[in-house]
Amino acid sequence: MRKVLILLSVAFIVSCSSVDCPVKNWVRSYYAVYDSDGTTLDLHDTLTIYTERMDGSDTILLNKGIGIETFDLPVSYTLPEDTLYFHFFNLDYDVTDTVWIQKENYPHFESLECKATYFHKVTGLRYTTHAIDSLVLKNPYVNYEDQTTNFFIYPDSDR
Amino acid sequence: MLVATPASAQKFFTLEKDSIPVFRGFALSFDLVGAGMAMFSDYGQYEGTLRLNLHDEWFPLVEIGLGRADAEDEVTKNRYTTKAPYFKVGVDKNLLKEKHGPYRLLVGLRYAYTSYKANIIRPGLVDPYWQYEAIYDVKDAPCKMHWAEVAVGLDAKIWGPLHLGWSVRYKLRIAHKEEGDFGKVWYVPGFGVNSNGRIDATFNATIDI
Repeated sequence: MRKVLILLSVAFIVSCSSVDCPVKNWVRSYYAVYDSDGTTLDLHDTLTIYTERMDGSDTILLNKGIGIETFDLPVSYTLPEDTLYFHFFNLDYDVTDTVWIQKENYPHFESLECKATYFHKVTGLRYTTHAIDSLVLKNPYVNYEDQTTNFFIYPDSDR
Repeated sequence: MLVATPASAQKFFTLEKDSIPVFRGFALSFDLVGAGMAMFSDYGQYEGTLRLNLHDEWFPLVEIGLGRADAEDEVTKNRYTTKAPYFKVGVDKNLLKEKHGPYRLLVGLRYAYTSYKANIIRPGLVDPYWQYEAIYDVKDAPCKMHWAEVAVGLDAKIWGPLHLGWSVRYKLRIAHKEEGDFGKVWYVPGFGVNSNGRIDATFNATIDI
């Protein structure tokens, strides 16, 4: 009987809990740059992407990207639509396209110890076409997944 | 078709033959560990058991409890609340050779179920880029869970109809369903802090009736 008591006590003591927050716990949308043939393309122009904060000031989301094939951007927690400004510039021109991304937002909870965040489903996409030829929604789900591309961006090849 | 049953298994499942009657009454027990946790910590449960005593060997039982959690993490500021009843059915078996003595060594199995609603809030969550306060509020998200328990316990007669005893339980999740796309739950009434499997202990005060 005493041995059983000792075993039970040990089992109770070793029953501990652990924190299981995901190692990769940021939510970003992923973009890939393609040419009109559908092959990946290094961005020839310098691209800066910014958005407007709630107080009306600008904040830069991607700063002077050049020679990049892919990039990623944050997504607002709960706005129904994110407005992003894609500013392309080089020695010959300086143009800005506006991209509107409509989405549904879902609070995502892992554990008390893990930071609160949101997952999203993109439901609509609009954009101007000064330097962007087209922008294609490939995967509407924006979450912890960083191995899939959400948007394919095709710059205007005439520029 | 006849199925051969090993003699040891047959012996395990049959009652010992002696002069003691098969029906030995009922017992009511209450878990003091869960109640203490419910009163003094972020989560816990009030759990009672009605146990039928068959010859001091087999104890078919029903457990009913009320689990609650109201927890907030100091660092993340996440707050999780829920409160709901849960139900278990199962059986214990007394493994001691001396079945009718003052001590019992019990092993048992239980099936458990709860249906509950989870509430998760994170007040003052500011979007780091757009700089506004986002409302993070999962309200009354309906969830259901089925799980199994393997229990090992000791029970000792203290005085008259009063028994005291420990049990250690391994809880194994069978199925969990949460409606909505909010991710995971933190505490499940009766199961405890959520994971696929966990070990818990109870300290039971039991009265024979």
